Amino acid sequence: MALCLARNFCNRATIFNPAQLSSARYVSIKVVPATQPAVEGHDARNARFKRPQSPHLTIYKPQLTSMLSITHRGTGILLSSYVIAAGIAGISGDFSVVSSIEALQLGAASLAALKFSIAFPFSYHLVNGIRHLFWDMGKFLSIKEVYTTGYAMLFASIVLSLALTFLF
Amino acid sequence: MALANDLRIILATRGALSHLRSIHSSSAASAAQKIKTFEIYRYNPEKPDEKPRMQSYKVDLNTCGPMVLDALIKIKNEMDPTLTFRRSCREGICGSCAMNIGGTNTLACISKIDASNLDRPVKIYPLPHMYVVKDLVPDFTNFYNQYRSIQPWLQRKNEKTEEKGKAQYLQSVDDRSKLDGLYECILCACCSTSCPSYWWNSEKYLGPAVLMQAYRWIIDSRDESTKARLDKLRDPFSVYRCHTIMNCSRTCPKGLNPGKAIAEIKKLLGGLATKDAPGLETAKLHK
Repeated sequence: MALCLARNFCNRATIFNPAQLSSARYVSIKVVPATQPAVEGHDARNARFKRPQSPHLTIYKPQLTSMLSITHRGTGILLSSYVIAAGIAGISGDFSVVSSIEALQLGAASLAALKFSIAFPFSYHLVNGIRHLFWDMGKFLSIKEVYTTGYAMLFASIVLSLALTFLF
Repeated sequence: MALANDLRIILATRGALSHLRSIHSSSAASAAQKIKTFEIYRYNPEKPDEKPRMQSYKVDLNTCGPMVLDALIKIKNEMDPTLTFRRSCREGICGSCAMNIGGTNTLACISKIDASNLDRPVKIYPLPHMYVVKDLVPDFTNFYNQYRSIQPWLQRKNEKTEEKGKAQYLQSVDDRSKLDGLYECILCACCSTSCPSYWWNSEKYLGPAVLMQAYRWIIDSRDESTKARLDKLRDPFSVYRCHTIMNCSRTCPKGLNPGKAIAEIKKLLGGLATKDAPGLETAKLHK
């Protein structure tokens, strides 16, 4: 039918015949948004190819930079767990931290070790926190300064924790 | 006397020639072999179900160039043509041969083979915590998309009157010097893939390499999109996953300091610092 119509339009000599048009099929054209090709994420794409992940923690060289950083986080976690433990001990009725440690009858050495294990995370986190404050001001950020301040911080935090251990 | 001189020159030249020959010949005629073992990460995508493994190659350093890339090329040419790695310029300016050598990320072409300790093997892995396409070739798609996201090009507000190519933009010597140590980055991704924060958050944290380039455009006196650029970074992940570990600056094979650049971005975001007004009127020649 469409072909017939087209022939009619092309042929000027043919007179337009409305009857012919009325028998034509109506075609309605609907606008449909084009479907976007699915965007595949980076992980999904690599998973499809079954690509392995290259090794990281296990093969990267332990350096002062990363070791001091992970220790900062570790001491932070330790400190907060100490605080939580002290809090729980504080609200649990007649339990006394001091008397229960005294009841253990510890020797001087193990008592000092116990005190050091509380004093060191505190002093490390404190002194390295100050180092972080300098970094946040944009200071001491060359690799040479990072190493100097790193060793200095380590020394200062050990001195401070020893002082705290033997002062109290 | 003249004859003696000639003789001396001939003798000297002969010495040099034989020296040259000893460098180039691969025959084992040279006295003591200097055998160094290279342990290299292997993964074959055609057999995706086989686990990645380490493969050892023994290279005589007498017949090999001084750099790790020389050894890799020698292994590929003479021992195992299936070994796959990226390389191009062999002089530390293209960034293609970035890989993990001896535990730290660096460019194979500018890292010397340690010939002093022959017993210790050289361990070579692809850049850490990346998807491996094959052997030492990681997938950089995410890294490049992140670089694209910071719009690394000069942006001017008044692009109608400032017709491109008509006149230069002015920049004072001081303003230009602020770009030193930033523009030299070759995007090898050694720093980003050395960063534990980037390992765990590479989807949302931009990583040191991309952030240093973000800062390079933020601080450019000619760029006028500073506020928009900073606002785009104002979320908990893009910048603030940086915990100043400083592995990035430690490992950069170009000696740049991405950690410092990130600290400067944080200062700008936190209002501790502001960008200076341009020292010269940037568009003066366009008027």
